[in-house]
Amino acid sequence: MRNLASSASSAAIEAEVTSAGSSAVSLPPEAWRELLALSQDESADRALLERLLDHWRFAHGAAFAAVYLEREGRLELEVASPSAGFAGARWLPGMNGSEAPPPALEAAAASAAALEGSDPGVLTFPGGCLLVSPRPPAAVNQETAANPETAVNPEGEAGAPGIEHGPLPLLLLSSLKILRLRQEIKDQQFQVNYRVVELESLYDVGLAVAATLDLEKLSEEILLRAVSLLDARRGALYILEGSRYRLQRTFGGDAAPWYDSGGAEGEEIPETPEGRKLRAFLAGESPAPPSELLPGARYLLGVPIDIDGSPRGLLAVGDKESRRGVGPFPASDRRTLGLFANQAAIALENARLHLQALEKERLEREMQLAADIQRRILPRGAPEVPGYELIGWNRPARQIGGDYYDLFQRQDGRVDLVVGDVSGKGMPAALMVSTLHSALHLLLDQVGVGPALLEMLNRHVFESSTSNKFITLLLAELEPASGRLTYLNAGHNPALLLRHGAEAPPDVAVAGAAPASDAVKVEELGASGLPIGVLSGSRFQARGIILEPGDLLCIYSDGITEAESPDDEEFGTARLLALLREHRRRPLAEVLEAIQNATGSFSAGLPQGDDQTLVLLRRRLA
Amino acid sequence: MKAGTSMTESLNLTVDRRDGLAVIYTEGYINNQGGEEIARAAYKLLDEGFKVLLLNLAGTKIVNSIGISILIEIIEKMIEINGKLGFCCLTPTIDKTFHIMGLAQYAPIFDTEERALAELGELGELGGHRG
Repeated sequence: MRNLASSASSAAIEAEVTSAGSSAVSLPPEAWRELLALSQDESADRALLERLLDHWRFAHGAAFAAVYLEREGRLELEVASPSAGFAGARWLPGMNGSEAPPPALEAAAASAAALEGSDPGVLTFPGGCLLVSPRPPAAVNQETAANPETAVNPEGEAGAPGIEHGPLPLLLLSSLKILRLRQEIKDQQFQVNYRVVELESLYDVGLAVAATLDLEKLSEEILLRAVSLLDARRGALYILEGSRYRLQRTFGGDAAPWYDSGGAEGEEIPETPEGRKLRAFLAGESPAPPSELLPGARYLLGVPIDIDGSPRGLLAVGDKESRRGVGPFPASDRRTLGLFANQAAIALENARLHLQALEKERLEREMQLAADIQRRILPRGAPEVPGYELIGWNRPARQIGGDYYDLFQRQDGRVDLVVGDVSGKGMPAALMVSTLHSALHLLLDQVGVGPALLEMLNRHVFESSTSNKFITLLLAELEPASGRLTYLNAGHNPALLLRHGAEAPPDVAVAGAAPASDAVKVEELGASGLPIGVLSGSRFQARGIILEPGDLLCIYSDGITEAESPDDEEFGTARLLALLREHRRRPLAEVLEAIQNATGSFSAGLPQGDDQTLVLLRRRLA
Repeated sequence: MKAGTSMTESLNLTVDRRDGLAVIYTEGYINNQGGEEIARAAYKLLDEGFKVLLLNLAGTKIVNSIGISILIEIIEKMIEINGKLGFCCLTPTIDKTFHIMGLAQYAPIFDTEERALAELGELGELGGHRG
């Protein structure tokens, strides 16, 4: 940091110098002691320079003297004597490596407010110049220094005017050199510190990206830091949506809300003229940016925001600042901007994954809701029917299923049994189940069990569902008193009826069934029509049987018989029939449990492949 | 989410001259232009006799290296004249930047304007500003 350490007044110096003579620089001991003290104080470089300039000015009888040092290609005022009241320009045109003052510098010196009305002189030295007014005789009569480093300017040598011989000019130049070196060290320290700021900034952005999913906030954070660290005047962050880049955030001026690279939906940067231009620009192969990006910016730098090589957006900054105005970005800035783009890519990917997780969560909630609705559609228990045992059970393969069953008793005592299986699984199947449930109950009230009901139901389902959707359905109605069971089977698995006390005829015996000693007569309640919803004009036929005491009826869905083992073998009708035979005299809950256990063991822990539904009806023995 | 949210680039300055010190409020980007504006305002205040200045950066979210170098020059100038410059209400990012860049070593940084005024105000009174 600079520090003023002045002790002697200008008037005192003037007196000293005057007494010593105007051209011979002979300072009194007190002045040398002061200069020595200042030279030993690290913080007094500027004060030393000012004091030396004061001595030099008075030695030459000049009204003003000002030292300018070359910085960023132009000359900046460093010190002036007298330090107060100098009204010359702070900046002068640069010398561009020349030791001779260019005409522009001469003109600037002449036009400097403090030097007006006089004959200003410009004396050059390496890395700067000295403006003095009026022009010293040495500068008028002498020509330039042959060795500017030592500030020697012997008389008679050709060249631009320079600083003359003597210890004072030498000290002045040495002091300037020290000041310049200190300034260089300071500048380098500034650059090192700013590099630390850059690293810290990237680290902080990384933390922010990990800590929040707020894409708007992160976009601002990333853009602001990129703009500031690259000394840009403007910036914009675009996110790729479909084939177009949407402006997410801009700084320092307007930018196009959309940038279209001319590609198709989901296409990466396309092979269109605009796409090629964008690709070349983002790769740093072409300085020409697409026209819409940061309109009005003179210099642009852009990098892609990529995730695994797939473009997700772009980050652009415009107009690199310096003390002289704006200019192009150096190549090293591309790397820095790329690091910020990487952070943006991570933020975008995190946000996308988060949205995906939220969507999944929402779907799961909806599925759970649908499952609750479906559970309410299914009966909570079986009606108590005197003289009969009745039980029903359903287990969907997923949260919601495509199987349906219902058991309910009408006011006149008749009992309706329904088992249906909608093609497919999941939500579409569940929606069909809901449709089936509503339509079936409506039609049962209107037309009762019979072909007309299924034909109306068929038309309704056919018209309201997609072409590949259908329902297999077994609908039966029991008159408890007589044991008469009227049924319609629309493409569903044949229900199995085990007659009590009757031996099985050879043609009904199923491979793998129970031994002959335990054989019972089995009847199948097979299909009497196509599945519901296959053809608009399907016809159905009602059939009837009499349930005798002890007879057991099993209506099931194919999720039971098609349950698979780890060896890809199906459970099959034979195993189901064997279980029914074995347990046919047991309470129905135990029969059901036996079937559940058997299918579970058969699948050996494999995920259930299909919905499973079972309805068991047995007429009690008298 | 607002698409294409834009942030301003230019710096707006307001100056509050108080007894013993002056507060400069900034709003916007402290870059080359913004820094120069602050410097002009600060040097004008010095010419008016204020030797204690407070820069309230509550309205500034962003500062670049050019702006920082200009602020350093202002700090140096304040030291030369035995004055004092303080900062307050910095964003965490700017606060960190000022510490790394060494500004905090020569110009105190305060969380709030109240604290800054309490501390710098005493200096202003000692400095005998004519305000």
